[in-house]
Amino acid sequence: MSTTPTPMAAPQPTSGEGPRPGRALRAFGIGIGAVGSKELRGRMRGRRAFAILTIYLLLLSAFAFGIYAYLRQQATLEAEGLFRDGAINGVAEMALSADIGHAIFSGLLLVLTLMVLVLAPAFTTGAISLEREKQTIDLLVTTPLSTLGMVIGKLLSALTYVFLLILASVPLMAIVFVFGGVGPEDLLRAYVVLFATAFGMGAIGLFISALTRRTQTATVVTLIVVLAITIGSAAVHELWTVLGTQSAKTQSGFIPVQRSDRAPVAILWLNPFVGDMDLICTTAPGGYDRDTCDYVAAVTGTPFFSTPRTNECPDGAPCAQPAFADDVVGGFVKAVAKEAVVAPGFPGALGDEPVADDVPAQQALPSFGFPRDTFWPQSVMAFVVVGIVLTLLSAQLVAPTRRFRLRRGTVPDGATWGTQAAVTASDAHPSLSGDLPRVPADAPLPTEEVTP
Amino acid sequence: MTPVLQTRGLTRRYGRTTAVAGVDLDVAQGEIFGLVGPNGAGKTTTLRMLATLLVPSDGDARILGHSVRREPDTVRRLIGYMPDTFGVYDDMRVWEYLDFFARCHGIPAARRKRLVGDLLELVDLSHKRDDYVEALSRGMQQRLCLAHALVHEPPLLLLDEPASGLDPRARVELRELLRELRSMGKTIVISSHILPELEELCTAVAIIDHGRLLASGRVDEIQGRFRRGTVARASVLGDAEALAAAARWFAVQPEATGVEILPDGRLELALRGDDASAAALLARAVGAGIRVAAFAPAASDLEELFLQITEAAAPGPREEAVA
Repeated sequence: MSTTPTPMAAPQPTSGEGPRPGRALRAFGIGIGAVGSKELRGRMRGRRAFAILTIYLLLLSAFAFGIYAYLRQQATLEAEGLFRDGAINGVAEMALSADIGHAIFSGLLLVLTLMVLVLAPAFTTGAISLEREKQTIDLLVTTPLSTLGMVIGKLLSALTYVFLLILASVPLMAIVFVFGGVGPEDLLRAYVVLFATAFGMGAIGLFISALTRRTQTATVVTLIVVLAITIGSAAVHELWTVLGTQSAKTQSGFIPVQRSDRAPVAILWLNPFVGDMDLICTTAPGGYDRDTCDYVAAVTGTPFFSTPRTNECPDGAPCAQPAFADDVVGGFVKAVAKEAVVAPGFPGALGDEPVADDVPAQQALPSFGFPRDTFWPQSVMAFVVVGIVLTLLSAQLVAPTRRFRLRRGTVPDGATWGTQAAVTASDAHPSLSGDLPRVPADAPLPTEEVTP
Repeated sequence: MTPVLQTRGLTRRYGRTTAVAGVDLDVAQGEIFGLVGPNGAGKTTTLRMLATLLVPSDGDARILGHSVRREPDTVRRLIGYMPDTFGVYDDMRVWEYLDFFARCHGIPAARRKRLVGDLLELVDLSHKRDDYVEALSRGMQQRLCLAHALVHEPPLLLLDEPASGLDPRARVELRELLRELRSMGKTIVISSHILPELEELCTAVAIIDHGRLLASGRVDEIQGRFRRGTVARASVLGDAEALAAAARWFAVQPEATGVEILPDGRLELALRGDDASAAALLARAVGAGIRVAAFAPAASDLEELFLQITEAAAPGPREEAVA
């Protein structure tokens, strides 16, 4: 053979593989199945996975019991105090039971969120960089697998284990029903938040893994990103809010008088703890869970109704205007005006759930209400969208030949290849002209010994 | 001769450096095609472009008529690729490894079991079926990687330095295996910088240096085109004086362009002309009373050829060498 171009065969038909979309879909499905099951097999192999699950459940149980034991002790002390003071301790006991339920719910939710925050990115952060490091990725990419299927397979296998850990906590979480205070629909909300967080965080780890060449780099970058979107986002939000608030000194101290610009809630969408606090606040049996509700109100600009004490504004003067226009941090809301309750355009009007509607209406007090489902659905949506986008981007980063780039260079035209002799070529080698090569079902490979 | 693989103006640039500069190759069905060149010549880059792992900066390659640029998915079904350096998954057994790649190629579970058994038999790893891949020796991993490239019965195999890091025995085994695959009708493109290894195996070679194709074709064809002479070594019986006399005699012969006495007492002769003129020279030497005990080419044909071609190409414009 010489280097001069010789006539060559025309493209061989690929009829056996069906239409292109079908083929692509098949490659996608195979990618998820093959890569997913391989990864999962590796992850579940041996006792490690089950040992981790056992230890995790033991720790979680111990944590839940710790909360219970602590609150029970508190309740006992409180009941003794009430008894000494001549109060009816039965009422206090009833309320305390719901408090215990709520505390266990809150505690477990926060711990599970922390677990998801740590594990979901940790499981995916090596998914692609490890393949690059170990030089196995070339072998994988030269198979006809779709890179999207491959990447989703990796994400799913990593998330399956995280999902398993989350689901394993359900029986423990169900203990709260014994104490009350939290309903099944609240638990459902909590798990939706957890699953969405796991997906979003897993996709973040995956994307960073696809972006970097080394797992070590990927791990560090992922850690920084996770810290940034949790602690960092809260700090940025706080700083932004403070900078946008003007205070004035009055007799009773500094009060916010004007808010020029509230920090956008979107900063905190990927902070799962804010979503948690939204859930914790709105399930509080006492009606208003001071710390979390103050924070959520400050963040989302949604006023929560606290027990109204006086009809005074914070500066001591009688209030003519509702105190919670959007220039007041929720935590400062002490006085509540009736008009605001029915005001249209109330941010949390959807799903309002009055929990204390037995308050006498004739009092010049508003009905108590909690705007529910204001923040966490946004957070869940944000996690899902971020997860999907990053997964798609990861697939693009893995594909060697289909990255977004301008087509460079010139491709030789038909004449250079000499398609003239296509017929003769395929006539001479009919075995090559037909279908793509397939392994015949009944034609085994030669099996003679090839080594002496 | 159906061209299984054709490249036209195949070029790959990394920023300002050009790794592969306009390589044209034609590989016919059933050939074992050697891609020869020193380290950094562009062999791996060429093979990676053929394996759809790199997009050519210019030009194109077609595998059974399918462009690596436009139809990478189809091309991937037609090739079995073995990289020069590759890793193995830990936490995976030998059979699982092959089963995984078979599954990636969409081979149904019912057929995979038998296929994996057949492939392990072919590469002589049946006894390691349940071992972990990472625990295999280098040679065994190499064979396993070759087996992985065969799961989908590709008509074209792209093997990048398959013999590197193997001991001589494993090398012989690999050679046997490649011959076996050729007899099964596969076309094999193999790259190497170890020339003797290719010489016995290849039906055709392409010599690449600095990203340029210097020569391609059958080994004897290239020899015919590029031979400027050979280096022969001769052993002469007798003492040092007889050796010196023989050296003086050779030095004045028209075929010899240079004579040197080696430290081990042999003569190294730079000869011009082909084998026939070398035979004539030997006959005249014997006739002149020189007691020649051995007379043979100094280096393997391909190695020598390679040195000649790359040296010839180095100073002047390379186009001459290619033409």
